Amino acid sequence: MSLIEIKNLSFSYLEDSPTLQNVSLSIQKGEWVSILGHNGSGKSTLSKLIIGLLKADEGEIIVDGVTLTEETVNEVRKKIGIVFQNPDNQFVGVTVEDDIAFGMENLCFERSDMLSKIVEYATKVNMADYLKKEPHALSGGQKQRVAIAGILAMNTDIIIFDEATSMLDPKGRDQMMEYIKSLKDQGVTIITITHDMKEAILSDKIIILKEGEVLASGETKTIMNDKVLLNKSNLELLLPLKLLYMMDEANIKNEKVHDILWQLSLNK
Amino acid sequence: MKSIIIGQYLPGTSLLYRMDPRSKLYILFILMVTAFTIQEFPVMVGLLVVVLLSLQIGGISIKRVIRGLKPVLVLLMFTFSFQIMFIKTGPQLVDETLILTSYNILLVVGIVVFWYMTKKYVPSKFLYFLLTVVGIIVLLSTVHTPGANLLQTNLTIYTDGVMNAVFIMTRLIIIITLSTMLTLTTKPTDLNLGLEQMLKPLKYIKVNSEDIAMIISLALRYIPTLLDEANKIMLAQASRGVDFSEGKMKDKVMQIISLLVPMFIISFKRSDDLANAMETRNFVPRQKRTRLHVLTWHTIDTVMITISLLLMSSSIAWAIIS
Amino acid sequence: MAIKFEQVGYDYPGFNKESYSALSDINVEINDKGEFITLIGETGSGKSTLVQHMNALIKPTRGSVTVYGIKIEKDINKKGKKVKLNPLRQKVGLVFQFPEYQLFEETVERDIIFGPKNFGVSEEDAKIRAKEVIKLVGLDESYLQRSPFNLSGGEKKRVSIAGILAMEPDILVLDEPTSGLDPKGRDDLLKLFTDIHEKLNNTVIIITHDMNTVYQYSSRVLVMNKSELVFDGSAIDLFTKENIQKWNLDLPEILQITKQLEEKLGIKIQKAPRDIDELFHQLKEVL
Repeated sequence: MSLIEIKNLSFSYLEDSPTLQNVSLSIQKGEWVSILGHNGSGKSTLSKLIIGLLKADEGEIIVDGVTLTEETVNEVRKKIGIVFQNPDNQFVGVTVEDDIAFGMENLCFERSDMLSKIVEYATKVNMADYLKKEPHALSGGQKQRVAIAGILAMNTDIIIFDEATSMLDPKGRDQMMEYIKSLKDQGVTIITITHDMKEAILSDKIIILKEGEVLASGETKTIMNDKVLLNKSNLELLLPLKLLYMMDEANIKNEKVHDILWQLSLNK
Repeated sequence: MKSIIIGQYLPGTSLLYRMDPRSKLYILFILMVTAFTIQEFPVMVGLLVVVLLSLQIGGISIKRVIRGLKPVLVLLMFTFSFQIMFIKTGPQLVDETLILTSYNILLVVGIVVFWYMTKKYVPSKFLYFLLTVVGIIVLLSTVHTPGANLLQTNLTIYTDGVMNAVFIMTRLIIIITLSTMLTLTTKPTDLNLGLEQMLKPLKYIKVNSEDIAMIISLALRYIPTLLDEANKIMLAQASRGVDFSEGKMKDKVMQIISLLVPMFIISFKRSDDLANAMETRNFVPRQKRTRLHVLTWHTIDTVMITISLLLMSSSIAWAIIS
Repeated sequence: MAIKFEQVGYDYPGFNKESYSALSDINVEINDKGEFITLIGETGSGKSTLVQHMNALIKPTRGSVTVYGIKIEKDINKKGKKVKLNPLRQKVGLVFQFPEYQLFEETVERDIIFGPKNFGVSEEDAKIRAKEVIKLVGLDESYLQRSPFNLSGGEKKRVSIAGILAMEPDILVLDEPTSGLDPKGRDDLLKLFTDIHEKLNNTVIIITHDMNTVYQYSSRVLVMNKSELVFDGSAIDLFTKENIQKWNLDLPEILQITKQLEEKLGIKIQKAPRDIDELFHQLKEVL
């Protein structure tokens, strides 16, 4: 059984322009799935629907066996955490340790439990030396890491990253992707919402959204191989891949070059 | 950028820092009531001595306290002069005729100009100002001739006036010093925690102290961020020709609008995002939550409150008896 | 020379030279015609501080910045008359990161004419400029009467850039103008800047973290590292002759691919390719 099951989801902000139409997808435990699309493709709306910030007009969302309804929304939120785009607008605590504790306080963790978890998860995201620091003294990347620690501390093992790197500088972005990779290795189920192909190819599975509909869904390698699909999606192709396609079109068959370019497409 | 956990707070280790913020708030209230029940001058001085002793015990420098008095200096002066001028009982101390003549008016103007030009070089501007005022009064009472009389008035000061003035000033100084002691030794976040506990009974009039404490906590968290953003917006608008240092009234209004509107927009977006973030982290208003930071009441807190209550009751008793 | 930095140093107030210098011994000259400059460097290297000296928002702690003949130094106001620096901000137009946050007027038109009016342009003339400039940023005239707050993020960015363009600055400085945009948005905006640059032949300075932008668009690159200006030259020289890793910078993607291909195939690409078509042709020849 899938960990997250989305069936025929539809939603519109305004009467006659649907933001999402008949979206269906499933996510397995331990998978890293990227939801890839332009601004306006409906991807952020999708993440808000999964976490219950918006209510779907039609369709179903089932998380770990629990169907998302107004009554079950709190239960679902104990299973999924979300890191938003703006590092400043989700940092609640007056200090780093206060922010990590916030979620645990809401879930009525015992104080001794909170204290040990704060140290444990702050260390995991390399923020153990910053526990007493205030947010305005931290960089965007550091604040996002604190957000991750706060979510993990609630014993949550599904995390949605909703364009969580778009307000960071390149270093911050790279660091975040490293952390996400290590989270995946630890068995956390990850959903990244992004418009960046470079980030999407690091994941196991890619779902491409275009104008509110699922254009394609499948393993990363399969999607990357589908030239027709990528063209249709209007997404920016990665340079190595572009070069690969150019060679294919000109009928230049060099296996070694092919391999190198393919590797580059997937690594970068 | 100044940290808001600091604010007026200065880290330290003395007794005052180790006390529970609740007991400090209670004691502040108790001693303020005491200050208002005292009727006699010697008793007020006694209370002042107690306050000064606690400054010593608390390891707080007098300089900091004086700095805390600066904002209310004008109020203190006003109160003082008011009492002196309007209370006309008791033996007379001063009876002078002040005359402004066409001759000494030039000297007065000269003194004022001299004061204005030299005040930046003087360490204590307030004392210098007082000295100048006293000098002008002395001038107006002694140097009358030559010249025609322009203005004439009588300056009379009576003992009671002076006593009252000093009495009320001492009371004000005590109250302000006590408040300054509180904010110097207590972090705003701890004060918030203390208030939250103390205001719990307000739930009987449908006011939830936890909501208020959360609001204050978020405000404390965002003040430095907002200051940074305001600064950035000012720079952006300055780049569009807004000159924040100059301008007539109409321009000033435009300048402020160009700063406030973006701040509001940012804040509204922030509230939206923050509410979403809090909800997705399982925050449900009014629902029970455990806390990372807890306040612990110690013996010293009980001792200090008892002492303050004794002070208050003895001063009330004394006031009733006399 | 429109802008000249001479031995400029800057310390943030409250810090001394030893503890935190944002700028150290900067010497650079910038013309007001024809230059397309990218300013790059790690976060914290001093780029934003540098450009804020160009329109006199900040005064240097050491050295001097001469902008259009006005010499700006630390003690500029103490030597008697107060020097008016405000007019310089019309000549050097600075667009901050996330400029959409500076929008505040009721209509797009009123926001665009705000800048020019502050510099003495009459309301009618400013409105004429607004009409020209809104088209220049790729939006049509109907946007003028709309509220700036009802626009999409990308549209807001364009409106705020229009607000600076309407001031008709000779030098346009943009601090990370493509932050937060998706790849298509980024490309559209950069194309906009190159179009403006070609049309007006002014000088455009862009602060960016994107090496691809640097390689593709600039004629001159300034590199900041730990408060110092460490490189001033062409993009090709920067990426082919310098050890950029010591400044914590990466190669643009096209050169990274070229390098990988060279290393793994044991070949040598003669001329550093400007874009993917060039790389393709060179690769075809080698194979």
